[in-house]
Amino acid sequence: MSHESSTTQAQTLIPLDYMASKMRIVSITDETADTKTFRLEFCDPLQGEQFVFRAGQFGLYSVFGAGEATFCIASSPTEKGYIECSVKRTGKVTDELHQCNEGDIIGFRGPYGNWFPIDQMQGKNLLFVAGGIGLAPLNSLIRNCLDLREQFKAMSILYGARSVDDLVYKERLDAWQQREDVQTRYTVDPGGETPEWKGEVGFVPTVLTSMKPDPQDTVVILCGPPIMIKYVLASLVELGFSAESAYTTLENRMKCGVGKCGRCNVGKLYVCKDGPVFRCSDLEVLPKEF
Amino acid sequence: MRPTKVDEQKLYQATPGWLTSAVDILLGAGVEIIAPVETEPGAVELAAVKSSEGLTLDYANVRLPLKRLFFPMTEVVLEFDHQPEGDVEVKSEPLVSDTELVVMGARPCGVAALESLDQVFHWDYDDLRYSARRDRTTLVSFACAKPDPSCFCTSVGGSPHNTAQSDVLVYRAEDGQALMQVSSDKGTRFIDQLGDLVTAAPADTQLPTPPELKAKFDPEQVKTWLDENFESDFWTDVSLKCLGCGACSYLCPTCHCFDIVDEASWRAGQRRRNWDCCSHPMFTQHASGHNPRPDQASRCRQRVMHKFKYFPERFEKIACVGCGRCVRACCVGQNLVSILTDIESKAKEGSNADVA
Repeated sequence: MSHESSTTQAQTLIPLDYMASKMRIVSITDETADTKTFRLEFCDPLQGEQFVFRAGQFGLYSVFGAGEATFCIASSPTEKGYIECSVKRTGKVTDELHQCNEGDIIGFRGPYGNWFPIDQMQGKNLLFVAGGIGLAPLNSLIRNCLDLREQFKAMSILYGARSVDDLVYKERLDAWQQREDVQTRYTVDPGGETPEWKGEVGFVPTVLTSMKPDPQDTVVILCGPPIMIKYVLASLVELGFSAESAYTTLENRMKCGVGKCGRCNVGKLYVCKDGPVFRCSDLEVLPKEF
Repeated sequence: MRPTKVDEQKLYQATPGWLTSAVDILLGAGVEIIAPVETEPGAVELAAVKSSEGLTLDYANVRLPLKRLFFPMTEVVLEFDHQPEGDVEVKSEPLVSDTELVVMGARPCGVAALESLDQVFHWDYDDLRYSARRDRTTLVSFACAKPDPSCFCTSVGGSPHNTAQSDVLVYRAEDGQALMQVSSDKGTRFIDQLGDLVTAAPADTQLPTPPELKAKFDPEQVKTWLDENFESDFWTDVSLKCLGCGACSYLCPTCHCFDIVDEASWRAGQRRRNWDCCSHPMFTQHASGHNPRPDQASRCRQRVMHKFKYFPERFEKIACVGCGRCVRACCVGQNLVSILTDIESKAKEGSNADVA
């Protein structure tokens, strides 16, 4: 090919035709009034056996006829035979997904993007900070780390939502709270509590400050709305954490997932290829276009 | 500029009228041909031809960019059909035909733009449809003798005689003869197919002198300013008259942004890849309503930054070939060259201020 010499990458190229694999919805969990978690299995068992991914990666899920949408894989790579995704109902594709029933077939492409540096987190304290549906990508990593619990020192999870009704993965939250080897702090925004609520009331950054986590040997993994990320980072700096020790995951709008459709760039970086997982210190130097 | 002397092995000549004969010969051999045709008064496009009638050599550039032959405005990537029992039949649209295709008449800028597209479509993932179209195509480009006033290829590293990515570059000599400069095996095959129509050019043959096209700005200076001025009122000034219509992107030979959408009737339909454009407000809007580029200023900035800063940082190449289509097509008279010369002036002011 005359144009081969102009490619920048020498490694073997992965063939791409945008074909979606068929997956069957095996269960649906209502998380909140507008968020559901879908457990999916590949219709082709061989594909199911061969499928591997790392916590933090994402896929393009599609309802045939409505189109594709990007979500992280919310289950852990250590759980074999299925993947899960949590979907908030906000648009055309997510509306259609919410109409789906168990047994229905949807499309999937992936996994795409980079992943949380779990190898570099071994032997460290882990502090997870999540807000709202931002727990979905962290859910994958938390479950992954819990399955490999002995490889990490202290594990803490701080999770907040606008109201008790907006908390996702309630059963898992309870299960994590029962464990003695995990410290959990759950909070809802002021006004979002119910009489039965036993957790904290307050914004995530404030609760984080009151937790007084030790920066020594601690990796922070955070995900949530941009405004939460901003104030959590400020709290972390006050607590003596460096932006180098914190990771987050970005979710710019994407169409291809593989660095071609030109949609998710932040400066010269593509969220789909250079991310979605970024070290917070690397984000500081980027244009604020995420 | 001094005429360039090339290896006689690679330089061929043909008499005036060669194009008509070449098309006849190639059509006879079962080769698909795309060649310049006047589609309406004043507009010349590269179009599939079934005969040698109606071909034209009289144009500064074709109106639509060459990219559309490899990365079409719209294309089916898969088809689906919901079955009554709940299954969905999903078929990958077969890749494009492997019949030989000769594209004649593209200008060197449009062909050179494929270098940028090649990098995007072969970046870790090989976009199979794009590659299949590239593989089957021989590019016989026509050197520019008379650039349009809006052309600026020499400002971005190109030239009216740029051979980049062309299999054959055809020059029209003063006497109407054609000189054909071959730079690939595909080009050699094209020459072989034409048989007696072309002959090796004499050893002392000189290529014509490229037409004068003075550089209008220095992209290095432009980048220096872009590096420091993500936040600048300049972007608001630039954006004030932009309607965000996207004509500049759709006509740009290097713009490669696309959307993937489903088009369906009740049960069956197609998933399509369509051209898209970073000037549109919805382009980056998240489902939550948050938009990383919330105003036209940030979108105009993205367009300039991507071509003259981000793409060079990523691929060591400016994502602009100076074809001037965006300048010619803009319905409100937005002019990329003026924007870039303004930026260059600002860069120079800046460096003078530093010295002072």
